Amino acid sequence: MILTEPFERAWHHRELIRAVVRREFISRFRDTMLGWVWAIFAPLAMLLAYTTIFSVAAPMVAQGQSTVDYAAASFVGLILFNTFAELAARAPTLLHEHVYFIKRSIFPGETIAWTSVARALIYAAISFGTLIVVRLVTVHYLQWTILLAPLVLIPFTLFLLGMTWFLMALGAFTKDVSYLMVAVVPLMMFGTPVFFTIEQLPANLQPWAKLNLVGDFIAMMRDLVINGKLPSLPMYLACFVVSYAVFLLGYRFYNEYKSVIVDVI
Amino acid sequence: MSSENAIVVSHVGKAFQLYMRRNDQLMQALFGWIKTFYKQHWVLKDVTFEVKKGECVGIIGRNGAGKTTLLQLLCGITRPTKGSIAVNGRVAPILALGSGFDGTLSGRENAMIAAAILGLKRNETLAKMPAIEAFAEIGMFFDQPMKLYSSGMIARLAFAVCANADADILIVDEALSVGDEAFAKKCEDFIDEFAKRGTILVVSHGLDYLKDLCDRVIWIDAGAVREIGPPNDVIPAYVATVRKDEEDEAAATVGG
Repeated sequence: MILTEPFERAWHHRELIRAVVRREFISRFRDTMLGWVWAIFAPLAMLLAYTTIFSVAAPMVAQGQSTVDYAAASFVGLILFNTFAELAARAPTLLHEHVYFIKRSIFPGETIAWTSVARALIYAAISFGTLIVVRLVTVHYLQWTILLAPLVLIPFTLFLLGMTWFLMALGAFTKDVSYLMVAVVPLMMFGTPVFFTIEQLPANLQPWAKLNLVGDFIAMMRDLVINGKLPSLPMYLACFVVSYAVFLLGYRFYNEYKSVIVDVI
Repeated sequence: MSSENAIVVSHVGKAFQLYMRRNDQLMQALFGWIKTFYKQHWVLKDVTFEVKKGECVGIIGRNGAGKTTLLQLLCGITRPTKGSIAVNGRVAPILALGSGFDGTLSGRENAMIAAAILGLKRNETLAKMPAIEAFAEIGMFFDQPMKLYSSGMIARLAFAVCANADADILIVDEALSVGDEAFAKKCEDFIDEFAKRGTILVVSHGLDYLKDLCDRVIWIDAGAVREIGPPNDVIPAYVATVRKDEEDEAAATVGG
């Protein structure tokens, strides 16, 4: 079945995906003394820096919101955007990094997208956990809608997987794709509502901003985590359908060129 | 496909795409449906053969004849440009030993990943880990980071994983030339033992070794099967041709 084929393949290779993700974390934390503390320290330091800057140095940025809420909202945006940005910048070089696996063994290359996305999501989850703890300390409550966060995470993950497959296949052909992404992705932060909301944009720009899928995910996630609001159903369904399409098309694109990639890389 | 056959290769051809300019690869990927940006180079032209279950088949041929490409196709690393390949059973390729290992991880952890690539489940691998450790014979290095290994030790570990992968079909590409003599002997012994129950496809320039090991030999020449048959028929013919070509070449050099 064409709609579920990528999942079946991933299930088939689940042992491999698990082994590779484990490896990434083992080799990252092996030569450190504090290990996991570093993974928590980085997001915590960033969150504290935002809160400090927006409450002390630039309180006017928050625009009526309490600075604590504004910092938290920015942080939600940053978690999702960084997850996207890291994958988008790294995906074009993924196949080059695994060239020995791909050329010399029966390694199923499509699992690289799953392992990369899993890795990025685990870091996002650590940041998210930090955010929740900080929210409990600063405002002493959580919105119940936070329980629905996985519903936004599912289409976001599908979108990331599709994008990774597409970029890693394209990046195998020429290194230009990699340089392009490294140059363009940081710029995209200005077009994505990380430090602002879509509603703060001029009315004529808002429809265009909504075309940015990452921004939509950020807006929905913010509603659930900070504002305690449910995203509108049509908006959610539209994002889900588009993400699923990206997922399937990315997978198809990768598979289309899979055998050629082995020869050219 | 008959259940007696482990491998069926029919009319397989493999063309590599040769690109004149670096970016033509990208152009081909994006606009290949409008115009072709490459020239084809046929490494394998028309290869047909079958390997029965439990059979041990050697592949001989000169450098560049297409032997390695053929093995890559059989392992599923690349796909044939034309023709079809059917493989019946779990394949353990012993191609480039240890090329996918990570230097920061220990031998044990690398073995987990290598076994997962070969299709073993986590608990299967854990159950086999003592056997892998024993086969590799690298002692306490098994739990040390791989960057401390010698190349021979890496090859030992890689072979140990393949040997314990419960494969039905072993595909070997001259891997035995790495490591010391004792290890090479151990690998040969394992392959001899495996030949009694499983299917083996082996590429080697060691003609005497193939003569002892194989039931049949396939001679690949310029991307096509030149001869298939018992080693005692094919190998002498191959040796004679190689010698004759060398003499012709020498004569041409002297004459020229």
